[in-house]
Amino acid sequence: MNETKAPEAPRKLGAKAPRTRLSKLFDNRWAGLAGLLIALLAPFVNASNYALSIMTSAAIFAMLASGLNIVVGYTGLLDLGYAAFFAVGAYTSGVLATRFDLPLLVTVPAVIVVTVIAGIIIGAPTLRLRSDYLAIVTLGFGEIIRITANNLPVTGGPSGIYGIPSLTDSPVTFYYVTVVIVAVAIIGASRLGRSRLGRAMRFVREDEDAAEATGVHTYRVKLAAYIAGAVWGGLAGVLFAGHLSAISPNSFTFLQSALVLMAVVLGGMGSVPGVVLGAIVISLLPELLRGVADYRYFVFGVLLIIVMLVRPQGLWPARSKEALK
Amino acid sequence: MRKTHILSLAATAMMLAGCGQGLLGNGGGAQDEAKGPIRLGMLVPQSGSEAAIGPYMTNAAQLAIDEINAKGGVLGRQLQLKAADDACDAQTAVAAANKVVTEGVEVSIGGYCSGATLPTLPVFGKANIPMIIPAANSQELVDQKLKHVFLINGTGTQQAEAASKWIAKQGATRVALMHDNTSYSKDIAVRTQPMLGDKAVITEAVTPKESDYSANIHNVLQKKPDFVYWTGYFQEGGLIIRQLRQAGFKGSIMVGDGSVSAKLGEIAGPEVDGVFATMTPIPDTLPDAKGWIDSYTKKFGSAPGPYSNQAYDAVRLAAEAITKAGSTDGAKVISALEGINGFAMFSGPLKFTPEHTLSAGGFQILVWKDGKFALQDALS
Repeated sequence: MNETKAPEAPRKLGAKAPRTRLSKLFDNRWAGLAGLLIALLAPFVNASNYALSIMTSAAIFAMLASGLNIVVGYTGLLDLGYAAFFAVGAYTSGVLATRFDLPLLVTVPAVIVVTVIAGIIIGAPTLRLRSDYLAIVTLGFGEIIRITANNLPVTGGPSGIYGIPSLTDSPVTFYYVTVVIVAVAIIGASRLGRSRLGRAMRFVREDEDAAEATGVHTYRVKLAAYIAGAVWGGLAGVLFAGHLSAISPNSFTFLQSALVLMAVVLGGMGSVPGVVLGAIVISLLPELLRGVADYRYFVFGVLLIIVMLVRPQGLWPARSKEALK
Repeated sequence: MRKTHILSLAATAMMLAGCGQGLLGNGGGAQDEAKGPIRLGMLVPQSGSEAAIGPYMTNAAQLAIDEINAKGGVLGRQLQLKAADDACDAQTAVAAANKVVTEGVEVSIGGYCSGATLPTLPVFGKANIPMIIPAANSQELVDQKLKHVFLINGTGTQQAEAASKWIAKQGATRVALMHDNTSYSKDIAVRTQPMLGDKAVITEAVTPKESDYSANIHNVLQKKPDFVYWTGYFQEGGLIIRQLRQAGFKGSIMVGDGSVSAKLGEIAGPEVDGVFATMTPIPDTLPDAKGWIDSYTKKFGSAPGPYSNQAYDAVRLAAEAITKAGSTDGAKVISALEGINGFAMFSGPLKFTPEHTLSAGGFQILVWKDGKFALQDALS
């Protein structure tokens, strides 16, 4: 924890944010542990297949959001095609698992390699671009991956891949395996954010030219963020493939990218507990609103607008350990 | 701070104690009600691009259930419908499938979008729940050879056979096939093409949900076809019909069963007159369905639509199989379904093939006349 208290960055809260009870809660370092405990205890409250299924989806979504948070939240690179890495991971493990009869876990090293390559292929030429231009290129990339999957015979074309083996037989164990993997990924993302590289990422976000001038290799930092995000997304894809047992290009549309980005913005860009909370809200809300049937997405949209009006900084905004602007 | 800790502990304890569905509970109340209603699960799109189909199917299923319940139910138990929205999306469908399984359904009678139905197969399979799929008919549902999956809609191959038969009958020599790259649509186009041989001059894939298909239509018309077969859904189908005619195409146009909807005419405008369609029997074309349409219309205030009759039949078939099996046990219902021979349905007497599909697809040729589809040729 020592490296988080960088000497040049004394804590200067207070000025803009009075330390209310709420903000004390936000700064509580046990919040993450409490979240993990809730996730681990939830099946003792309700272990029906339905509850486990939507909680597993929510956990996978939280992993996606924490991955995108590295790219958008830490480094400030707007990525509108994040579902592409999700798709690359899901398809790589799905194809390997069904064609060669491999257990899902064995495909993980291959998934990491492929997503790193995908991250470099896309990142290397595009990260020279800035802001809006980058967003457009990533948007295009997301569509390219989806349409490629839609047209290749090896990915099963429009009907995709089915009969993917699950990691475990019972939904309960799968849920626990998912929670553990996702927890490790979230802790990893959070530690990355506090590391030297993470500080460099935030420097790039705040002022790229100043970062460059003080000796930060901005291009390399951006590429690293992109690759980290790709690996996180790819591994979430493996869990997704195992959870659903069938994947098709329809699961990786622009809407999926937009929803992950929405989770990051809703929760609070750059704040790990925030994006996890945002992801859980975004993935569980439509399910909890099943009761209102036809009005489901209408209510969902209205609630999101209300949240953004009331808390524009996000549900659980980033409390930078460095000075506030 | 301490107070909140105690409060939250108490709240957690209360939740743990109050709910029997947890890991420590007795596994939920799903199976222990042999006297309660027999629940039938139905996943259909109620939101998203295919949302229009949902009510046609759930209403018809409800109609069948009410009729059966009025006669005393099945095995002395009432039937109950548990419908859930699959939004035509894989992830939503899996959650919905788990939801109805948790609600204790004994037979699944849903499934419209093939892509959303595929990932639900293992969910129902693990719970030992037989599936009677009324609409989804992609070959992938059959290829897995799952014991609990039964299709009561004609398959892509059967639709392709009907299409090529009609194309031959019309004497067309240069046929253009158009699909929208979705699993269902491509399946039909890809299977029709070899049946036509060298009469198929082009297979064109379009991108769904666009508002202008003139580039695709230009490609197609360059090959000078005299027959165009569109195998996708009605939104794009309507536009394609209109734009084909505007581009001066004079030949025949035919659409697949996904385009059979009143909306097709709304989108295409007057150009829709004379368009053919390959379709399984719909209420409008069934000679003995008049009374059925009346009771449906009286109950729901609107006429039945596509797949209403299949959904209705799925419920009746499920009731028949449970009665024959004498129990709601999955394995017994499955062997009862396999043993069914000559059960009267809208599409004709039912007997499943070893692959659990219809022995005859029952596809007919419809034609758009006077503001709706009417029977052109039964192809029998």
